[in-house]
Amino acid sequence: MNDTQLPRFEVFVQERRNGPHLNAGSVHAADAELALLNARDVFARRPECHGLWIVPADRVTARTAEQLAVEMPSSEPGESGRAETYRVFGKIGHKGTHEHLGRVEAASAGQAIRKAFDTFGSLSVTSWWVVPESACLESAEDEADAWFKPAQDKPFRDQAFYPVETFMRSLRRARESKEPRR
Amino acid sequence: MTTGEAEKLAHFEQRIARGEKIEPGDWMPEEYRRQLIRMISQHAHSEIVGMLPEGGWITRAPSLRRKLVLLAKVQDEGGHGQYLYHAAETLGATREEMIDALLRGKAKYSSIFNYPAAAWADIGVIGWFVDSAAILNQTMLARSSYGPYARAMIRICAEENFHRKQGMEIVYRLTQGTPGQRLMVQQAVHRWWWPTLMMFGPHDADSPNTPVLVRWGIKTRTNDELRQEFVDQTVPEARAFDLSLPDPDLRFDAASGHWRFGQIDWDEFRQVISGHGPCNQVRMEARRKAHEDGAWVRAALQAYARRREQAA
Repeated sequence: MNDTQLPRFEVFVQERRNGPHLNAGSVHAADAELALLNARDVFARRPECHGLWIVPADRVTARTAEQLAVEMPSSEPGESGRAETYRVFGKIGHKGTHEHLGRVEAASAGQAIRKAFDTFGSLSVTSWWVVPESACLESAEDEADAWFKPAQDKPFRDQAFYPVETFMRSLRRARESKEPRR
Repeated sequence: MTTGEAEKLAHFEQRIARGEKIEPGDWMPEEYRRQLIRMISQHAHSEIVGMLPEGGWITRAPSLRRKLVLLAKVQDEGGHGQYLYHAAETLGATREEMIDALLRGKAKYSSIFNYPAAAWADIGVIGWFVDSAAILNQTMLARSSYGPYARAMIRICAEENFHRKQGMEIVYRLTQGTPGQRLMVQQAVHRWWWPTLMMFGPHDADSPNTPVLVRWGIKTRTNDELRQEFVDQTVPEARAFDLSLPDPDLRFDAASGHWRFGQIDWDEFRQVISGHGPCNQVRMEARRKAHEDGAWVRAALQAYARRREQAA
């Protein structure tokens, strides 16, 4: 019964075409490709999905605004080395979830946090995540139709498919016409 | 408690009072974390076990349309379980230990899923009663002070309105059908009414966890408040359907504007949550079998991932 737990991947869903990718939750999978497939099963059952990103959870570096107010990550010796691209996610205000804000070039996660704060700090972000772009895997643009279109052909997953208000109204009206007015 | 701890607790409670969401990584009292893991994992297990009573009807649905709808609903429940396990994981619980606790019979899940779905009409009544009750509870939890739980709930509530409505549609069609269909749906209503009222949990006076849950904004309403709202919402719907409810004490109290209902059989409730309901055994056996039958798939996935890593 004691299987080893598979690694965890954070999942980001693009709910509007060309909109930002939003953190929706996470999935467990043996590798990134399977994580992407699992993410589709768990988070794309309805039409509001135009793209998916997944990121291994252990590659996410997180800081809350509170933590940064006390201490910025200090610069490390290696930071003059080769920079790579980091994706920056922030939770803006207290409602909502982490959304993709943009990219920074940095040689370490600590530097990426500092650069993210300098670049997007005006957005009242309460929680920051940075992730090396090389660790992200995304659904392929040219397969988007095959991945996300089928959900559009399932209108029965939407509550508006069931005319409940209409038939409840007609039932109540029929009942009132039978019963004498009190 | 040290002075530092007391200061942190005061700051934490001020944040909740201001309506801020607590996020993973923020300081929180151990008891807040413990209560959340308990509640969220029970909630996740309920979604997963909740697939079973209805799952049995997928192959016996009376039309292709009903089959598609029921399949989609049960699939949603699997997805909701996943959202919730994720929310519990953000608090440091592992999926492995949560599932292990469920399979060993150490974790609780909603009492309602230990009742059988005896006839097709039960599928309609489960959507109408059980999902309506779940939506009331979950709409409250969508305002919970813990960010990941609240966000999972917002997603779930949006999807569960479909579950409620497909159920009401089935009930409506059956009430408009043959005398046999009307009888079938009436009997299902009588089977599910009391178990649904029990689903909200013990009376407030007998619910030891409620005060601390309300104090820290995990819950914002009590079991009895939610139960009363369910009754007030559902009795008029049953009357519109011309279906009777199995409670001779049910009456409208004009002074308070509420429907008053009779005594809940708490002995039955205690029996069911302690493992002696009509289907506890069957449900647990089905979950264990699913887990064991899936072992080779998990092993194969890991072997594949390892080999790819070695090849790279």
